[in-house]
Amino acid sequence: MRFASLVIGISALASLTACAPTTHYAWGGYENALYRHYKSPQDRSAFVEELNTIILSAKQAGEKVPPGIYAEYGYALFEEGRIPEAKSFFQMEHETWPESRVLMDKMIRNVEQREGRPPSVQPSAEALEIKDNS
Amino acid sequence: MITRYCILPFVLFLPLGLLGCVTAPKKDYTQFFSEKPRSILVVPVVNSSVDVDATSYFLSTLSVPVADRGYYVFPINMVKRMLEDDGLSDAAMVHNADPVRLAALFGADTILYVSIERWDAKYMLLTTQVTVEFNYILKSGRSGTELWRDHRSMVYAPNQSSGGGIGALIGAMIAAAITKAAPNYMPLAREANAATFAWPGPGLPAGPYRPEYGKDLAVQW
Repeated sequence: MRFASLVIGISALASLTACAPTTHYAWGGYENALYRHYKSPQDRSAFVEELNTIILSAKQAGEKVPPGIYAEYGYALFEEGRIPEAKSFFQMEHETWPESRVLMDKMIRNVEQREGRPPSVQPSAEALEIKDNS
Repeated sequence: MITRYCILPFVLFLPLGLLGCVTAPKKDYTQFFSEKPRSILVVPVVNSSVDVDATSYFLSTLSVPVADRGYYVFPINMVKRMLEDDGLSDAAMVHNADPVRLAALFGADTILYVSIERWDAKYMLLTTQVTVEFNYILKSGRSGTELWRDHRSMVYAPNQSSGGGIGALIGAMIAAAITKAAPNYMPLAREANAATFAWPGPGLPAGPYRPEYGKDLAVQW
């Protein structure tokens, strides 16, 4: 009986290690916060706060901020019209992840065009020029 | 196809532990290895299931497993919002757009297209069977050709035949009541992703941010 439960215990552990993905970065509550944000879109602030928390705790621990998180946070600030702050986070994404540079250059250019202007209209992602770029 | 359930009762752990994660047939990675992608643009998910909310919920599970394979993953919510602002709020439109042009706009090496085939719960007497089924396709941002694909289906049903007797019956009833109240697809969806992207296996070879990058090319499984 004891042996049986030991075998079950060990195999349970083994199969858990077999399927648990090794997490490479400190994602914090990113997935859950994004899920809850999609579940109730009006409750956006918790998601934005979580992004900030992920960045702060990664920095405190001296670890790399997971890919996309600086940009995600920068874009949230951009949507709130907090343009200079948004720019600094786009720049951090740019510096940390070379693969992000094409997109971040666009975002930084877009932000620079808006700097000094009051955010009279809700900023959109017109920098992408998906429709005009034919 | 054999699927794995990490959340099933203990009795099932032993055979599953022995089976491990490798179940899919071999795939051709020649094109993948010749392109050596560094980044993956995950675009919004196309939904063929009956649950309209499934698409954004499932989207939230994709960044972490893909990034953990060592690739730069573009900010998923930012990409979604930008596409929406540009009139591409319909994921099917994004999936049908020219991949080379789409990738160029974001500077992405590859694009990951995911569609949900099933995301439903079947209510039975003592249990609720939750099923998810996904198609994953990775396309080159340079040539638009397909580099990798996977299909995964997973079923979760609290097992009521394990212990026997009145205790097991009550256990099954409680499990069914909980699942019935709010079927939770997310652990199952995460499990499907973990199995899909796993390497060695059917998944993605190590990207540039993993120490074994470039060393797993010759791995035969």
